[in-house]
Amino acid sequence: MDFLRQVAQQRAVTRRDFLRSVAMTGAASQLFGFSPLHAAAMPQGQKTVVVTFGGGARDEETFAPEGQENIPHLLNELIPQATFFTQVVNRGILGHYVATASLATGVYERFDNFADVAPKNPTVFEYFRKGLNRPANDAWVIAPSNGFNRIGQSDGSLIVPGMGAQVILPKHLLASALNKTSTASAGMEFLLQDNYEDLLFTPPAVQSELGPAKLTEMLHLSVDDFAHHAQTLSSADELSVYVMRQLMKQFAPSLLWITLHDMDVAHTGAYSLYLEGIRRTDRLCADIWQMIETDPEYKGRTTMLILPDFGRDSDFSASGNGFQHHRTGDPLSRTTWMMALGPHIRQNLTVDRPLDSLDLVPTLGAMMKFATPSAKGKPIAEVLG
Amino acid sequence: MTPGGLQPDSFAAYPPQARALVVEHLNVLKRMPLILLAALLRQVIQYDWSFPAEREQLVRQLNLLNQLDAASFGSLVSPFAAIPLTSELSKFDWVNHPQPFSEKLTAYLWEQHLSDNYHSVAQAYQQYLEKALPQSQPVTPRWTIVVIGRGSQQTQYSLFRHLMPQGLLFTKLDPSGALETLSAAVISRAQQHPLEYGHWYIDGGEPYSVAAEDSRLTTMSYARLVPAAKREFALLEEFTSRGASNGSVGVEAVGSYIVGLSPEDLSLKGSASDAPLRHFEVNLVTQGAGCQIFSTTFVQWAARECLHRAQPLTLFARFSTRQCNAPMEQLLTRDPLQQPQEAEGSLIDADMGAYYTWINQSRLPGADESRFLVWFEDHNLACAIAPALPKGKTYTGAITMRQVLEHMA
Repeated sequence: MDFLRQVAQQRAVTRRDFLRSVAMTGAASQLFGFSPLHAAAMPQGQKTVVVTFGGGARDEETFAPEGQENIPHLLNELIPQATFFTQVVNRGILGHYVATASLATGVYERFDNFADVAPKNPTVFEYFRKGLNRPANDAWVIAPSNGFNRIGQSDGSLIVPGMGAQVILPKHLLASALNKTSTASAGMEFLLQDNYEDLLFTPPAVQSELGPAKLTEMLHLSVDDFAHHAQTLSSADELSVYVMRQLMKQFAPSLLWITLHDMDVAHTGAYSLYLEGIRRTDRLCADIWQMIETDPEYKGRTTMLILPDFGRDSDFSASGNGFQHHRTGDPLSRTTWMMALGPHIRQNLTVDRPLDSLDLVPTLGAMMKFATPSAKGKPIAEVLG
Repeated sequence: MTPGGLQPDSFAAYPPQARALVVEHLNVLKRMPLILLAALLRQVIQYDWSFPAEREQLVRQLNLLNQLDAASFGSLVSPFAAIPLTSELSKFDWVNHPQPFSEKLTAYLWEQHLSDNYHSVAQAYQQYLEKALPQSQPVTPRWTIVVIGRGSQQTQYSLFRHLMPQGLLFTKLDPSGALETLSAAVISRAQQHPLEYGHWYIDGGEPYSVAAEDSRLTTMSYARLVPAAKREFALLEEFTSRGASNGSVGVEAVGSYIVGLSPEDLSLKGSASDAPLRHFEVNLVTQGAGCQIFSTTFVQWAARECLHRAQPLTLFARFSTRQCNAPMEQLLTRDPLQQPQEAEGSLIDADMGAYYTWINQSRLPGADESRFLVWFEDHNLACAIAPALPKGKTYTGAITMRQVLEHMA
């Protein structure tokens, strides 16, 4: 793994250089030692929003100089308010469901990415609910439907069952709404698109205690309104963020996890669609932060963490095909970044030391005061303040 | 079955030339660790339909291994033997099904966190081969010409951004007659340096007739392969529906089924002499992702595989527009040639495709002497990479395509 560390370090340098060049206020103040300690004591009733990209993004299309045009919101709006970690290394299996499950358990899960299985190890949602004795509606996951329906709860072998997060698959919700309403589905099929990783793979049938009908009822969504509003959206990820907004209004969950997925269209090999996905994700990240900052239940008490699950293959890895996949396991496909924003997070801070993807769960545990006994990794000091 | 137990009869199901090859090298194959042997057999079983460059590489590799003394052979292959295998994998019919074995092995290596280990072992083996068996230089410098943007108009996107640092940008190229000039240049090279599967023309739509009709070029087009891709999807749907009635069908089962498809299964017809091309086409549509549904992906992937496998002296790749995006369920069932096209997105796809084609050409022997040209079809913009041309510069004077080619020569 020495080579992996070296490459990760190189990427970190690239990202730091880039931040220095484009975000002069933030980077300069950090460079010259004027980093403001814009942090307050951790408030009571704090909440956490985790945004993962279930479709890796590379530096070339994001933080490298040539990629900056694709992420104006991350760079100009969010990074100046954030602590930015320039190297997060994923040493697990590079499939989106299994990698996201690993992020959620703090252990590199080893199951078949395409299998209909729950993570073996307890999820952060179970630790949270069990540790803080929280009700079911206080932890939610919004996820694409390509196998993610089992991500809210482990298989129960290592923790008492029934303490997981409720999982919403917006695609299933919309499909159900379209079946029940007179709204024509024509023209909205693109909102149902969220499986790119294996173009020929049919995800297992969703089995959930929370059927779409129950969910729309819980979210107080009028089926007609939901279907009509969906017509104004342009992608599956936009639908996910819309559902997230409803969820925040209705339950104001303390632990909310959303996986954005549009950019994984890269698997089709269409570079322009991959870039579109990145740009949309960039805008949606800013929208989510805006939602947090304008919602009284969340404003001033919410930490948001944004991180891709992993990268994508390098252009120069002979066994891969560049941005299209994440199959080679090369260092660039394993190295990514993380951004943290919130009242107790220092602004304009860039951290170059390497983190492991598994550090997320112990960090959430330490931040929100619950134990994460099976999770590997270490709490990230810079997030804890 | 263990490698040591292999007999000539073990390969009874192999195609004739492949069988002869393994029988000739049976002694060395019997001494190989299973992981390496299965990887080699994956190539051997395709031998009858391989391109000349692939055949040469495989035979040279087997001859080299055969000639190594016991100590050198042992130290070269023993790292593969150190990777533990399950009994399930060892008992698999890896002789007759090396590709499905490879898929199972990949899943196992990921699951056991052994993939990094495998990669480093395989890389060391590859480096040894590259050093011991330097590839022969091409008889004449390789030329790759990529034409992008058919059907697209000007764009705000900065074209050739990745290639410009490597070559000379022309901003006032006269587009009139340029396609004819390129086509004639490609045919002329095929005439001067006749070589089986040495000169290729790949088109993302209906091919340009002058080039397509020249028998000295190996021609492939997306328009021709769409029916094969649709046939593949239909067969897959049939397979998964059949399987679903008996339970679920896993990704590996689907993968194994696809690998087993033949040109006949996909209704790809041709003569015995062009069997390698038919099998190549099957490999493209069954192993590529997205090349069935998007013509831009098809050209990029076909060019990559062509360069990697056939190592041609000349490649002429012409991108066209692709269909607009849609949910996968629709993309897999509708006819891509009958859909609205997305011009600007196709141009961006093709621009990246051109860059990847240059990278793939740069991996071949003789890269330092190779020539590469990309042109925005019907427009004034082109970028040329050649030993005699400066890098990262722009030529703003008026120029014809013929003159550009002369500067590159």
